[in-house]
Amino acid sequence: MPLWERRRSALVLAGLTAFHVLLISIQVPRGPGKSLFERAVFFLFSPVQRVATGTVHGIGSIWNGYFDLRGVRAENQKLKKEIFFLNQDVRFLEDRLRLTESEATLRANLAEFHGSLVAARVIGVDSANPYQTIVIDKGSLDGIEKDMTVCDRDGALVGRTIAPIGLKESMVQLITDKDSSVSVRSVVDGLTGSLAGRSADVCELRHVLASAQGGTIGEELKTTGFDKIYPAGIRVGVIQSSGRDEFSPIFRSIIAKPYFSFDKIDVVAVLTKGPGGGG
Amino acid sequence: MRETIAKDALRAFLGTVVAVAVYSVAGAGAPGLLIVFNAFTVVVLYFSVRRGEVFGALLGTMCGLVQDSFSLGVFGVAGLTKTLLGFWTGFVSRRIDVAPFTRNALFMLVMSVIEMILWVLLTAAVRPGSVNFHGGLVLLQPFVTAVAGSSLFAIERWIRSRKPRGA
Repeated sequence: MPLWERRRSALVLAGLTAFHVLLISIQVPRGPGKSLFERAVFFLFSPVQRVATGTVHGIGSIWNGYFDLRGVRAENQKLKKEIFFLNQDVRFLEDRLRLTESEATLRANLAEFHGSLVAARVIGVDSANPYQTIVIDKGSLDGIEKDMTVCDRDGALVGRTIAPIGLKESMVQLITDKDSSVSVRSVVDGLTGSLAGRSADVCELRHVLASAQGGTIGEELKTTGFDKIYPAGIRVGVIQSSGRDEFSPIFRSIIAKPYFSFDKIDVVAVLTKGPGGGG
Repeated sequence: MRETIAKDALRAFLGTVVAVAVYSVAGAGAPGLLIVFNAFTVVVLYFSVRRGEVFGALLGTMCGLVQDSFSLGVFGVAGLTKTLLGFWTGFVSRRIDVAPFTRNALFMLVMSVIEMILWVLLTAAVRPGSVNFHGGLVLLQPFVTAVAGSSLFAIERWIRSRKPRGA
């Protein structure tokens, strides 16, 4: 009997283990960049995710549609859709209005956002840590590119699109991911820092010197646009706590609570124009 | 022989599709549920017990890699741990009787605890500081996996027992 016949199980295990060790060895020096193989796996299986989530939503929709008053429901859906876009517009307009100095600048900024929103449904969350990434049902065919800003229903910052981006699916890095970084400023005191995630439902404001003034609890944080990814003036969250950093006394430890609610994030808006990507 | 491997690979692919569907449905229902419920582990355990170590290893590889591709973690870590999980689950279940519900649940609990330990150690070694226990909530995952996996077998037995004999 040949060796393959006698030691089939052990050889399969050895082969697969060697394959994985090789994969990990290749991945570690690469850092967070996605390999071609990983992207291929994502492309292959993300449509399954889309179909499964779509089926659940479809069944839920049929169930509700059947038992609810269908006419009212259709109208409700239409209004919800309108409210979604109006909310986005109002938020951006408010934020831009505060930032702009002249009417001409305001007009230019409004034109910048016109027709640049793509509504997307959340079809999946990170398999290892739900606070790191989500998968949305819009991809390169819908004009989605890497580093585009993603907001929730109310225009609050959710994160940015990252690779891999499929034809009809994309991955979004949440601002709660520990490798995420957003340049923010507090609206009252103008305290500026880098907001990083903690892979939990809160974030921390980094690189704020202990001598810096301001940053009171409850103060709102908005993007500055300094990171060249997120446009300036997007609402991010509020300061939850502030104190001295135990590990590094020269900095302050500031914890912020993002506005977007992780459990309610079903629909998002992707800004296809802006500093991060697109036109 | 080649036909068997090819068939096993195809079945493992279909098993992975099932795992992605279960994971997506769970995520759509309640994203926070994914901290305590790993659909990929449940699918690997269930099919490894049914089909043996070679199939378990193949399914573990596919499910693990898909889990990695839907995450920002190091690509291959879940692949390796699930390959070992699938192989050893299939291997051990061929040598001891894991049919009774309690024994089945205990066996799955032990296997998923080993997988979690391996995953934590590997992740900590490859990317230090990146393991997040979610305030200890993630430690419930092996228990939920064991209950879900053994319940699948119990449901399967119940359905079979309801089928009329000779049908």
